[in-house]
Amino acid sequence: MTSTSITLEHVGLDLPIFDVSGQSLKKRVLRAGRRNRIAEDNEGVVIVRALDDVSFRLEAGDRLGLIGANGAGKSTLLRVMAGIYPPTAGTVRTQGKTVPLLDLALGMDDHSTGRQNIRLRGLLLGMSDKEIRAKTEEIAEFTELNDYLDLPLRTYSTGMRVRLAFAVSTAVDAQILLLDEVLGVGDARFQERARERLEGLHRRAEIVVIALHSNEAIRKACNKALWLDRGKLMAFGNTGEVTAAYETYMAQA
Amino acid sequence: MAALGTATADLNASMKSWRLWTLLGWIEIRQRYARSKLGPFWLTISMGVVIGAIGLVFGALLGQEMNTYLPMLSIGMVAWTLLSTIINEGCNAYINSAQYIRQVHTPRLIYLLQAMWRNFIIFLHNFVIVLIVLAIYGVKTWQTVPLFLPGLIVLLLNSVWMAMVVGLLSARFRDLPQIVMAFMQMMYFVTPIMFAASALKKHEWLVTFNPFAYLIDLVRQPLLGEWPSLQTWGTALGMTVAGWLLALVLTGRYHKRIPYWL
Repeated sequence: MTSTSITLEHVGLDLPIFDVSGQSLKKRVLRAGRRNRIAEDNEGVVIVRALDDVSFRLEAGDRLGLIGANGAGKSTLLRVMAGIYPPTAGTVRTQGKTVPLLDLALGMDDHSTGRQNIRLRGLLLGMSDKEIRAKTEEIAEFTELNDYLDLPLRTYSTGMRVRLAFAVSTAVDAQILLLDEVLGVGDARFQERARERLEGLHRRAEIVVIALHSNEAIRKACNKALWLDRGKLMAFGNTGEVTAAYETYMAQA
Repeated sequence: MAALGTATADLNASMKSWRLWTLLGWIEIRQRYARSKLGPFWLTISMGVVIGAIGLVFGALLGQEMNTYLPMLSIGMVAWTLLSTIINEGCNAYINSAQYIRQVHTPRLIYLLQAMWRNFIIFLHNFVIVLIVLAIYGVKTWQTVPLFLPGLIVLLLNSVWMAMVVGLLSARFRDLPQIVMAFMQMMYFVTPIMFAASALKKHEWLVTFNPFAYLIDLVRQPLLGEWPSLQTWGTALGMTVAGWLLALVLTGRYHKRIPYWL
């Protein structure tokens, strides 16, 4: 077994944006009859180059922070690393169990109880049945929801939902952890405990990739940084250097 | 061949996470019937009423004896509902799970198996009607009854590959669910469910070239005390093999594109 790593080689990703008519069979059939230039120009599918020739390698122990303006491709890059979007060019190789935590509340069911939701969310994150049973109590304790856990989710307040989603998601054991914008969770007291828990999660994982807007947070949490701009890799390396370069660039812009 | 490999790998992984898709299937049923006392049995009741009404009207129109017509009709309807809802809902299997497909990395076929499971549970509820009808009119011979089980499995296998094909194409072409629904509606009238195949007389080709007719027969005949013919078995099994090959190759070929289409 080789050690945990992620290798991206010349990764490119073209996202097709189907407009309503582009995705319709009727349009396809109608187009088949006309073989002239205009029809070809009317393909109806716009392609956005979300990632362009991105190459880098992470090894066990690396903590990578992704920086870049909105729409630079940070989330897309996370999804490529998670295996959700297969790249349209280049290759991605990952060694180790990869868990993306992109949308914490995904798959929570309103009519199921808190405990049933723990199980559902756990299965979605790829935990085994045994793992879930072993962790349920620990998760339940962390949420501090007590008896509420046996009530259906629809009776929960927003804050309680977030607590539950956060508790299950962060109970996962991953070798490679991919995080998108860690959210502000719950009240002040809970925030403190959430931070501790996140740190624990980071410690358990061998590689962490995290997309953040705050350079401050990245300097604190990461040893490496990657700066994306409109899908292109602008810089990759030591956190201090990359964030400094990014800041200078942003100041000029 | 590479396509086939991708698809079988996905199918394998999907089967292994059966806990996830059975749970997701259950949850959908629970959501649909949340806080209703009878839950999915409402479907059973409404189907029972429909079968009763059709039985009365068509039984009289076609001059059928109730003790042969009602068992035929009820088994046919319940089996057809299973087959057609898996296909119809299979169209939306990927589309409705777009959220999941874009956020977590799970095998893709679990969403189709989820649709299959959900409708199988509903089928079990509907099957109560068949049991009641058979209890009233009696089973002709018990000898053929065990064949019902392999028949049901073949029907399920066929509905799943059909759902795989339409589900995949629907993700790309959003008109397809409507087309499929209209097509299945038509097939409902053409397939011998409300009438016996023999009643078609010179139009028997409608049954001979209707793949669904074989699948329904495979489930219905054993419960009516008849042996499905070798031709029925052969056609159905041939369809299963060819269909699964087609579905797997297609799924493998476009496996990577699914998240882009959603």
